[in-house]
Amino acid sequence: MDWQLEREGSRFVGRVKGRVDETTWEAFSQALIAAVKDAAAAGGAPLVVDLSGLDYMSSRGLRALTMARREAGEAVAISLASPNARMREILAISRYDKLFEVTG
Amino acid sequence: MLVRFWGTRGSLPVAQKAGAIQGKIAKALVAAGGHVFEDEAEAAAFAAANLDFATFGAFGGATSCVEIEGGDDAYLICDMGSGLREFGLDAFRRCAAGHARTYHFFLSHLHWDHIMGFPFFGPAFDPGATIVIHAGHADAEAGLRRQQEEISFPVPFDWLRAKISFQTHAVGEPFDAAGVTVTLIRQHHSHDSYGFHFARDGRAVIYSTDSEHKVDHMDAEAAFEAFFAGADLVICDTMYSLGDTVSLKQDWGHSSNVVAVDLCLAAGAKRLALFHHEPTYSDADIQRMHQETLRYEELVREDRPPLQVICSYDGLEVRV
Repeated sequence: MDWQLEREGSRFVGRVKGRVDETTWEAFSQALIAAVKDAAAAGGAPLVVDLSGLDYMSSRGLRALTMARREAGEAVAISLASPNARMREILAISRYDKLFEVTG
Repeated sequence: MLVRFWGTRGSLPVAQKAGAIQGKIAKALVAAGGHVFEDEAEAAAFAAANLDFATFGAFGGATSCVEIEGGDDAYLICDMGSGLREFGLDAFRRCAAGHARTYHFFLSHLHWDHIMGFPFFGPAFDPGATIVIHAGHADAEAGLRRQQEEISFPVPFDWLRAKISFQTHAVGEPFDAAGVTVTLIRQHHSHDSYGFHFARDGRAVIYSTDSEHKVDHMDAEAAFEAFFAGADLVICDTMYSLGDTVSLKQDWGHSSNVVAVDLCLAAGAKRLALFHHEPTYSDADIQRMHQETLRYEELVREDRPPLQVICSYDGLEVRV
């Protein structure tokens, strides 16, 4: 799992690559929480999690998204962008596509 | 070991209404497409070969009760949901054919849907029967006696004629029940619940229901991966979608199909049985959940050995 966070105009974009599973979810979760804090410190900038480089994410990664959402509260809007076909299916099966806005 | 499912529904017993049956009949007629059958047997064979389970079959509506056949001269039964009534009737038949009248029960917890079958368990009235109730809860006897107090039920617990005893077991300390080695794990659920690991002759069956895997305690899941390790069959609470367990139904004490697959894959388990079905789900809903779970397993399996995902239903038998 690889993670990079960038400020792009008024929003933060976190790019996750590889896969998030039982061996990598903790690093992903820590990176996400840190990104949420950065976005909140920047006045509540939206955080986009770019999934275009992600192979897939198991339930540990999905639940890391939930923890980030809880950290964000009302302060930071988190959305998911550009999942591959595999990840799009996982989001649908888990019903996470009903919990998070998915774009692209 | 042979695992026999007598009740697979969660929370509340349910029964099919006429509309559900009529829908199945209509689908079957459409599938037949005007075909003429010689007799009912030929029609049944056509239906079995051409209709999906949700149309030709049914998942059933009795609450949690699972028998594990393979103990020495004794029945082994997980939970006492409403499925226990039918098990009791079948046990009378088997006892008449010579089966020993000894029953070992393993209680996941004392919530109503898991004990409601006991007042209707015929063998409890058999003076020649021996019933041993194993639990992680020290208050198991109080829970069973309370549901048969006069305010709730006309027949008090003390009227039962079988020799009934209770054994409280500590987590992680194996014990023997009719030649089967049994180990408990504590699970997250209101008033706690316990999962059971049954092992004999190199085979292992896990019964893990009413177990919520909390989003903020994912590090605790390593203990479940170890408990499930290499199991031949894991019976898992898969009542809700993952999305539901972290939102609307958080803290309701249940898990998801997705988490069950992840735990079983990480544990190297061979088979997962989806269990404790949501009572509002139709047969088509449960079948869809099963199909989605099969697909999820494919999507996340990678280079690990395949996990066979089956969907439990009342009447299912699984040879382990």
